[in-house]
Amino acid sequence: MASKINPAFQDKLKKYGAVNFNACYNCGTCTAVCSLSTPEESFPREMVRLSSLGLENDIKSSLKPWECYYCGECTENCPQTANPGELMMSLRRWLTSVYDWTGLSGLLYRSVTFTISALIMVFIAVLVLGNAMSFQLAEMMHYGHLFEMYVVFAVLAIIFIPNIARMWNFTILRPKVKANLKIYIKSLPDLFVHMFTQKRARDCDKEDNFRWLEHFILVLAYLSLLFTTVFLDWFGTKSFFVVVLGYVESFFVFVITADFVSSRIRKAKALNKFSQPSDWLFVIWLMLMGLTAFLVRLFIDTHMIDNNVWMYIVHLTVLAQWAIIIVPFGKWSHFLYRSFGMYFSSIKAASEKRKG
Amino acid sequence: MEERRKKIEFDALVIGAGIAGGETALNIANNGYKVLLVEKDHSIGGKMILLSKVFPTLDCAACITTPKVSEIARHPNITVFTESEVTSIVKKTESLFIAKITKNPRYVHVEDCTACQLCEKACPVSVRDEYQFGLVGRKAAYIPFSIANPKAAVIDLEQCTLCGACERVCPTHCIDFTMETECFELQVKTVVLATGFQLFDPLKIPRFGYGKYKNVVTSMQMEREIAPTRPYHTILRPGDGKIPDQIAYVLCTGSRDDSVGNPVCSQVCCMYSMKQAQLLMGALPMADITIYYIDIRSFGKGFEEFYQQAKDMGVNFVKGKIGKISEKENGNLILRYEDIQEGIVKEAEHDMVVLSVGMLSNQSVHQIFDGEMLQFDSLNFIWQSDLLGSPAKTNIDGVFVAGTASGPMDIPDSILSAGSASSEAISYLIQH
Repeated sequence: MASKINPAFQDKLKKYGAVNFNACYNCGTCTAVCSLSTPEESFPREMVRLSSLGLENDIKSSLKPWECYYCGECTENCPQTANPGELMMSLRRWLTSVYDWTGLSGLLYRSVTFTISALIMVFIAVLVLGNAMSFQLAEMMHYGHLFEMYVVFAVLAIIFIPNIARMWNFTILRPKVKANLKIYIKSLPDLFVHMFTQKRARDCDKEDNFRWLEHFILVLAYLSLLFTTVFLDWFGTKSFFVVVLGYVESFFVFVITADFVSSRIRKAKALNKFSQPSDWLFVIWLMLMGLTAFLVRLFIDTHMIDNNVWMYIVHLTVLAQWAIIIVPFGKWSHFLYRSFGMYFSSIKAASEKRKG
Repeated sequence: MEERRKKIEFDALVIGAGIAGGETALNIANNGYKVLLVEKDHSIGGKMILLSKVFPTLDCAACITTPKVSEIARHPNITVFTESEVTSIVKKTESLFIAKITKNPRYVHVEDCTACQLCEKACPVSVRDEYQFGLVGRKAAYIPFSIANPKAAVIDLEQCTLCGACERVCPTHCIDFTMETECFELQVKTVVLATGFQLFDPLKIPRFGYGKYKNVVTSMQMEREIAPTRPYHTILRPGDGKIPDQIAYVLCTGSRDDSVGNPVCSQVCCMYSMKQAQLLMGALPMADITIYYIDIRSFGKGFEEFYQQAKDMGVNFVKGKIGKISEKENGNLILRYEDIQEGIVKEAEHDMVVLSVGMLSNQSVHQIFDGEMLQFDSLNFIWQSDLLGSPAKTNIDGVFVAGTASGPMDIPDSILSAGSASSEAISYLIQH
């Protein structure tokens, strides 16, 4: 692939949160201290170099940004304070926008105004639809539940499947990775292992597994909460078990995200120092999701909901903003791209091996 | 205390008796002015007298330093105060500075000591020898090093058990535990600051394992191992005394590294590492020497040729900074780095690692000026108010700077700088 140097790419990346990466003098300290970097897959210095040169195609075809789980050691030890960890984070944001065929992802990352307008528009839409139902709780909850069910499939079918196909195209097809069906099937366990365990995050920070554990519980709690509300109809169910299950799940989602928000405020670690609007949006909305879902169910159980319909409207608004904006176009998608990144990477490795 | 201060008068005060301060003192004294040379250590000669050879000529450092040091010591116009510190300087008029000096007791009358070393043999206390950078031990009663000047014993009172063994064996009765701190008030017309630099302390980079892995040493320790006045008669690694045959150099340890607060180049590490590599190849013909670098900065006269010479001799140069060092059971070390030529993270095994430590500012004179304050640059080196016009000038008229007190530099540049400072000081003395 012929590549052209493009210094303007640096300015583009800055809009996705990259800072000072051009200070890099190529000593390789970042790569050498990274606990995930291997002779086969060495990063992040290579990515810093490609970003400085603006070799977009090389970055687009690389899976390395997804292989980094941002422990922040590279940034802490960088002699030039070039912040390689934050560059990798910015590349993940940029790649998310590259994979997204609608282009909305990029707009949301680059423009806070656009993000806020989108959030407000969703809020208005909820109010308008609520008004159409004269704010009747039963009706709203019925359609709210239907919305939850449909939006899961719609986002998957319209946004994620095409986007992951694009990712596959950029990283496997175009670089002409030779892989047969057998390799695709054999590598499949990697997809699910990484999707549900984030085991690389554990390798990332060998001394401190707490961050991984928190994240792991959050993913499980979030996914099961999604399942509980969508398929077990948490707000409508009479089953004691399901009710308690939902409480526990939403409690975990709320508590863990609250801790994430607080460490971003305290800037506790390198990875917390440069929060972008998209990062704030993601953790705060996830926290609100847990909190409002918890409260709605609590209002139902204490029979307060009929007199406090606003509580449900708040929850529905948060839910709709989450499902329509943050999940398909925002940071949520890293959940899929990371796991598919590991899947594709293992396919690449297998095909390299076969080539010998 | 004030009454007991002895009043003394000189034309020039030079603080620091390293190669820059010594050269400055000699130049001023040779022009007929009376110079007081103040040194905090027990010997003059600074760091250079402890070095092996100097780049790029591979001249013996001691052979250049010792004649100079002798000349300084016996010069009729130079008075040397060792183990002394200037505690304050006040500028009264354009031609009068008042300095307070504290001379700490050596507990040995230098003029009577013959350096027979009987006290050393008698002393029962063993401690780490700071002049050999901890590679070997010394006694609490000791001669600092074999080519020290003055060559006389010192009693390290902090380690001393006051057993009196040294006093009993001393044939000239020069050991005197009743010696006290002396205080002086000095009147002087000009001041030259030649306070030198401090070596970077690699304990600040825990991932290099210095202090934890015995076979990771600093370049200054290696310098001692290859110096003519070396502690052993061959090159040994400290962990088990094995003769190493895979030696690695880690360049930019504490230089060009913002994460440890020193973002600038120390200017000497590339060159002294190549020098040591060449000397090691002479001392250990079968050894492999690898230098891990970010960029080789061979900018001075004869430096590039020196670099090429090192390459031709077979020194292995690898572009890539060491990120992490870990230790194997046998004391060998695993160095993890990114090979920048290939863009691949690699691990290499060496049996001895030398950290090429950088130069930091020496902040000992930072607080001594009263009244008109001395200014420093962002890295706490002495600020040169007219860097291009008169590089030896500080912000205080009549106070000059020589050598590495103003910034990292090599020995040829330090001596040039001393020449400049002494000329400025002499011209100041003539004018005032």
